Amino acid sequence: MQKGFKRNFDPIEILNSSQVEQIHSGTLHVLEDVGFKFDSQKALKVLEKRGCKVDHDTRIAKIPPYIVEECIASTPSSFMVQARDKDKSVRFGANTLYFMNSAGARYSDVKTGKVTMPTIQQNNEAVIVSDALDSVNVFPSYTPYFELEGVPPVMSCPVSCAQRMRYSTKPSRGAQPTDTFIWETKLAQAAGAQLLGCVEGAAPLSLSEDACNAAFYYLDAGFPIYIASGSIMGGSHPITVAGASVSHNAELLAIVVLLQSVSPGCGIIANNFVTAMNMATGDLNFGTAAVALHQMAYNQVWHSLYKIPVNNTGSAFSNSKKIDYQVAAEKLPLALCSALSGANMIVLHGGVTGELAYNPVLAVIDDDVANSIGRIVEGFEVSEGTIGLDVIAKVGSSGTFLSAPETRRLWKDEDFMPKIYDKTSYQEWWEGDKKTVIEKAEDRMQEILASHKPEPLTGDQENEVQKILDEATGYYKEKGLI
Amino acid sequence: MEDILEELKRAVLEFDVDNAHDIAAKAVQQGVDPLQAAKALTEAIRIVGEKFGSGELFLPDLVCASEVLKKAFPVINEEIEKKGKKQESLGKVVLGTVFGDIHSIGKGMVSTLLYASGFEVIDLGVNVKSEVFLDAVKKDNPDIVAMSALLTTTANEQKNVIEGLKKAGLRKKVKVIVGGSPINQEFADSIGADGYGATAPEGVKVAKKLLEID
Repeated sequence: MQKGFKRNFDPIEILNSSQVEQIHSGTLHVLEDVGFKFDSQKALKVLEKRGCKVDHDTRIAKIPPYIVEECIASTPSSFMVQARDKDKSVRFGANTLYFMNSAGARYSDVKTGKVTMPTIQQNNEAVIVSDALDSVNVFPSYTPYFELEGVPPVMSCPVSCAQRMRYSTKPSRGAQPTDTFIWETKLAQAAGAQLLGCVEGAAPLSLSEDACNAAFYYLDAGFPIYIASGSIMGGSHPITVAGASVSHNAELLAIVVLLQSVSPGCGIIANNFVTAMNMATGDLNFGTAAVALHQMAYNQVWHSLYKIPVNNTGSAFSNSKKIDYQVAAEKLPLALCSALSGANMIVLHGGVTGELAYNPVLAVIDDDVANSIGRIVEGFEVSEGTIGLDVIAKVGSSGTFLSAPETRRLWKDEDFMPKIYDKTSYQEWWEGDKKTVIEKAEDRMQEILASHKPEPLTGDQENEVQKILDEATGYYKEKGLI
Repeated sequence: MEDILEELKRAVLEFDVDNAHDIAAKAVQQGVDPLQAAKALTEAIRIVGEKFGSGELFLPDLVCASEVLKKAFPVINEEIEKKGKKQESLGKVVLGTVFGDIHSIGKGMVSTLLYASGFEVIDLGVNVKSEVFLDAVKKDNPDIVAMSALLTTTANEQKNVIEGLKKAGLRKKVKVIVGGSPINQEFADSIGADGYGATAPEGVKVAKKLLEID
């Protein structure tokens, strides 16, 4: 199993206990009084049977607080996702921090920032690169690219999933649109892996039929579920952090109620992908202080009160069009706030240009970032051994700790050496090739592509994967979608 | 015989400071050729140096390996002298941190790396007066004088040493390398040094270049 990073100190809390109660109480009020729209008769029947007040005309279910509380209680505080390679499986929850790869619609050229349709080869290379990066623990769906040259849009999720099964042994998340969950589930099973199922709400306060169908299908396969409700503060959520916290909580807890009513005890990781609105343009505004605060409050409520594992997506993207200082300035504060406030998974590697683009070179840079953040949350040990009074006495006022055997033995325990940051002296840099961190990341990416060979699928698995893709193509042709 | 030489090498490669002296004494006791023992130690430190250069090992490893040598070499050297033999080296370097400056870490790194690369190193320590450098040049006849200074206020002391060498008619006998945080190539040129290294590994490169090695 992938170890991830173990947070060894209490998460930062930005709310007092009264504020936590107020957000939770507000959430229960919204679910009971305003209700939540489930665009699926099958889901509504399950909820009605559970005790919710269902209006079949409006498809709104009003959920009594006791049901919400029961469903929170039946959600496990930790659960496993089995990867194709069992050593790459993950266990979400508690004080473990993992990182999930980011994604983008298209390929971003490093030099120009021009966004183009990625080829299958570019897609596969990006998967291989992230498979090799030890800080990438999990892949999301349609990763790394949402679109692929020569692949019909409706097939992009199944094809993307198949490529991840072929070129990575790490766990993957599925998707939900247009019945893709059928094919992604089959593909994962053919490769001998579990998938992290996906059920995404449509803010405000609703869940599409696709999402409900995905919930039933993934649960039937015995997969744990990644729930989400992507939304914009000031658009599909209230503008205030507190209001957006209540609204967002209500959306995710409504999904928790559905999932726990269908399959009590199923594993759930709850994602936060709430962004701010750029009030000048209406676009998504990444990397803002309000989003950081929202995620921190969210982590606190879900971690301390609900005890349900949490994922944060705020650091997945930047508004910058190129890999530059702005990318770091927008992504890193959010990632660090997420890590310190108790996130169990953070989406980070490779996303640029809003959600429009991705480049594996940025994923390589983010590998160093993730390892640094992970090292920070692991904290440090305070003991006689690590204080080392005897070493301090031995060195006294005239020696150096560099020659102490303890230094050699312990220095890596509490620090991380970035692989590609420039740490040369000025003279070396001036007289050398003056490579930027981006150029060094490009070099490392080429080294990875030359040396990293993920365990391929067996012949039988490969045949099965191809058969499933053919079946999916036939299915969508019959529906007139290809 | 082979075993004890391997044991000596392993002591360096495994950073076994605690047992280094005893292993060297055991080698002498077993009657091993002290030059072979010295060769085993220098081969091992060269491997450590190479791994340091490639990024596989780091400064604490290098320094610990050199601590092993500091424990083992006096025993071996005593035997070499007793048998009237002589060790080969790439060249002899006298080094120290200049007068007024007690910083030793950078100087220690250069010393270790020079040693690991095959140089004979005479480390004068820290807070070394100009006349001590001059005496060492007269007495030990080095190929290189290497000076470290960490403070802007002590950097000029490097110039004093060079001037002293000139006055004593010793300047042409030795190459002079300077280094330390406040030093740069421009300063090194202005005081008449032959070479400048911004880092310890660069210092070694400069030393080799000045002696036309490799």
